[in-house]
Amino acid sequence: MNDTRRTRAVLGVLLLVSLAMITVDYRGGDHSPLSALRGFGEAIFGPIEHGATAVVSPVAGAFHTFTGAPGAHRRITRLERENARLRQQLRTGQIDKKRADELNNLLGTSGRGGYRIVPAEVISSGQGLEDTVSLDVGSGNGVRPNMTVLSGDGLVGRVTRVGPTTSTVMLATDAASSIGGRLEGSEEIGVVQGAGRRGGSALKFQLLDSTVVMVPGQRIVSFGSEGDRPYVPGVPIGTISRIEKTSGSLTRTALVRPFVHFTSLDVVGVVVAAPKRNPRDSVLPPSPSPSPSSPPPPPSTPPSAPPPPAQAGTSAPPKSRPAPSPTPRG
Amino acid sequence: MSRNLLASIVIVAALILQVTVANRLPLPGSVVPDLVLLAVVALALVNGSLSGLVTGFCAGLATDIVPPADHTIGRYALVYCLIGYLCGSVSAEMDRAPLLPFVTVAAGALAGSVLYAVVGAMLGDPRARWPVVSHVLPLQVFYDIVASPFVVWIVLRLTSRAERPRDSAGLDPVPGFYRAR
Repeated sequence: MNDTRRTRAVLGVLLLVSLAMITVDYRGGDHSPLSALRGFGEAIFGPIEHGATAVVSPVAGAFHTFTGAPGAHRRITRLERENARLRQQLRTGQIDKKRADELNNLLGTSGRGGYRIVPAEVISSGQGLEDTVSLDVGSGNGVRPNMTVLSGDGLVGRVTRVGPTTSTVMLATDAASSIGGRLEGSEEIGVVQGAGRRGGSALKFQLLDSTVVMVPGQRIVSFGSEGDRPYVPGVPIGTISRIEKTSGSLTRTALVRPFVHFTSLDVVGVVVAAPKRNPRDSVLPPSPSPSPSSPPPPPSTPPSAPPPPAQAGTSAPPKSRPAPSPTPRG
Repeated sequence: MSRNLLASIVIVAALILQVTVANRLPLPGSVVPDLVLLAVVALALVNGSLSGLVTGFCAGLATDIVPPADHTIGRYALVYCLIGYLCGSVSAEMDRAPLLPFVTVAAGALAGSVLYAVVGAMLGDPRARWPVVSHVLPLQVFYDIVASPFVVWIVLRLTSRAERPRDSAGLDPVPGFYRAR
């Protein structure tokens, strides 16, 4: 017990240091002098996380197998059926493939929104109350802060920080995230806010015009930010599941079920170049209500089975690529 | 192996496991155990308050700068430093009460989560609003308690192995360790 005074002194000093760091970093915001410290963290822990993910992903896979076992059998049957159907489609489709390719070139950017993306893998996930992930691509792959991140299903989030080999993404479900959204097939815009995945609820959509009627089942796409940073237009966000009635409020709030499964994110794409013109609703999957099975889907709207994001980048015709093209990952 | 080196290895391993595995587990409620906090508590229980608070500060600072982190630097450093000090201050009682580690871990987990949320609320962090925190807090403490035996056991096992060359009589890891100290 002879070191109690020393212990208290060290405790006092370290608490003061923490408080000073909080103050400096909080006041500094994005340009805080402590961001060098974060860069240091990225340089040190980024490669370790790269390696660790490669080592531990089988463990996580095994865990997923256990938790997903009850639904897995049903899924296998469904996938087998879908596989058979797709194989049949493929056989008929091969004849049309050449023509489809030409058509695809012709249609150009409208193909699938015309985003140019860098494919990336999620390597780690944020702690405590924050809903962030880090990706295995960094500034060396052409990723910059405030770029949109999407997956085959829809909007994932935006890049907040970029290190040499990693980048941090704030997910759309994070409580600090707010995204401009537009109701499908209209000009009505609003704000999509995250409630925190760990908060256990879906996204919230606040329509700016309180007179417009929203119904459950309507879908929401991103409205797009000024200069396409941080959000490019036309990315599917989610489906309205419930309307919240708050009397006396100037805006209406809807609960939105996102298209992306944020708990099992794996391969995503970072949009390094926005489409030349707003894709409007063309990136949304075909509406589920009218005639769900139409075997040959039109080339402008691919079938609801989401292709991996890499395809969106590679299938974009070369002539539509903008001149200042960052190097694709590879 | 020196005690400091062992503590840093444990902290780095816990941190990497936390961000690459634990945070991505699809556990019910989307809440996961805080392995770093558990490691800090366990190390503080073994090494005493001075080393506990230094370990806590370093672990917190590392948690603040590890890549997906997106909060004000210093928040975890402050919280874990305090938790390390508090849990270390009861370490002298540990060979008398066998259940003390688990009570301490539960108390440390609760205090750590509350403190972190309070600091966030004071900084106006939208993530630390009451609806989110009230949902997360009970589950977080529950998962921490469930995971604590494993983390505490691993840390005690490692320390006893590290200390054994100097204290060959230590069959029981904890009392043997305390005689060595």
